[in-house]
Amino acid sequence: MIRLYGEKRANLVRVFAAKLRSASEAEDLIQDLYLKVQALGEVEVEGDGSALLFRMAHNLMLDRLRSQSRAGARDEGWRSLQGTVLGDQQVADVPSAEEVVAGRQRLSAMMTAVDALPPQVARAFKLHKLEGLSHADTAVAMGVSRSSVEKHVSAALKALMAKLA
Amino acid sequence: MTRAQTDIDAEMAEAIDWLVRLQGETVTERDWLEFDAWLTASPAHAEAYDAVLTFDDRLTLDSRLSQGEPAAEPLTAFSGKVVPLRPARRVWIWSAGAAIAAAFVAGAVLLPASGLLSAHETTYVTGVGERRTVALEDGSRIEMNAASRMTVRFERHARRVHLDDAQAFFDVAKDTSRPFLVSAGDTQVRVVGTQFDVRHRDGQIAVNVQRGLVEVRPNLPRDAAPFRLRPGQGLSHRKGQRADARVQAVAVEEVAGWRQGRLIYRDQPLSQIAGDMNRLFPRPVKLADAEAANLRLSGVLIVDDQDAMVDRLSHLLPVRTTTTDDAIVIRAR
Repeated sequence: MIRLYGEKRANLVRVFAAKLRSASEAEDLIQDLYLKVQALGEVEVEGDGSALLFRMAHNLMLDRLRSQSRAGARDEGWRSLQGTVLGDQQVADVPSAEEVVAGRQRLSAMMTAVDALPPQVARAFKLHKLEGLSHADTAVAMGVSRSSVEKHVSAALKALMAKLA
Repeated sequence: MTRAQTDIDAEMAEAIDWLVRLQGETVTERDWLEFDAWLTASPAHAEAYDAVLTFDDRLTLDSRLSQGEPAAEPLTAFSGKVVPLRPARRVWIWSAGAAIAAAFVAGAVLLPASGLLSAHETTYVTGVGERRTVALEDGSRIEMNAASRMTVRFERHARRVHLDDAQAFFDVAKDTSRPFLVSAGDTQVRVVGTQFDVRHRDGQIAVNVQRGLVEVRPNLPRDAAPFRLRPGQGLSHRKGQRADARVQAVAVEEVAGWRQGRLIYRDQPLSQIAGDMNRLFPRPVKLADAEAANLRLSGVLIVDDQDAMVDRLSHLLPVRTTTTDDAIVIRAR
């Protein structure tokens, strides 16, 4: 099982990086998975060990999301504080000016590219990526099926990647 | 659907389809098995997927700029919702508290200042594998990492901390009449009230800021303006080489991951990781060859049992380890 973990580790990180929207959180999760796998020892695994690894990681993720919702709320609270008083100075917790400018430029290039997309594709992309709706919520908002939403988002990403990457 | 999509190659297009599928609400065992099979089929697939993941990540980050707005306003224009600094007091979480407790050498040693020094000077020392939080009289707190040594002196117009070979995370109480000054090697750090991490190890000095504004003078001439670090920025240089000093964007929660019992690395050499481990456990980790010392790691190491950590390292890097009673030797495979 540990050997299998070694083989599948990088790919598991890839799956959960998409799911968690964060490569470092995924790394952390898959590191925790190692502890579970190690605790199992050399047990006989019935069926597919790879599927079992995925199930274990998935359960770990759900556990974490539950216990971290509190911590997450706090971190979000931190971010939304927007600023802090330092002596007589008011200081905002912000990215540096250069980062903001570069990000702005990328953002405006992205918006131009998005506006050139077919309307349905652009709408799905905006709802999902910019407003943060899930695939299902985007589908409801647009009155289309979830699989159409996924097709639209895919198409948008392909067009943007061709143009911007 | 659009013409543009013919501009990217087939692998990229497949990788994008995968990313979108995996970002859906439900990802099943079957998704995983098919995804894993696709990745395994060709190294180009993994490469394309990683590129797509990075691209998507940046899109998401940039798009936040369109919402959170205040980020772009200059500081002087900042007004309104300003909340005083209220540090979150995290409880330390060790993944395996018992294991680490067993590795502790001894309780913290508190050395009262000798008679010749000012009555307000106190030296704090942590041993290998030991961490401690020092609560200062002004309400500031300092979390010391293992194998660290620092001296604290409170004067009427300044609060001074000197770090020898040490790493510590500072949560400084605001006191405008007494700036908080940290010296580490050739570097001076000046703050009023903030949270930041200072690492002074092996001749390398790094300051990383989590909150507030921090002034750093890496061996600067008296009249030179200090570096001013904001949250998410760090400054690091080799002692005596102030030309090296560069302000960089850092993930402070990673740099200060040690506070939660995690060592988090981005492309760091195994020599540094071995050094960090040797501050946590009395049995030394030794690197057998330069090849091993130069291997680089990106990843998270949970701090628990030394053997388990070394075992995990051997899965993350192409190394072979040999364990004896008085050392663990790591060599490149």
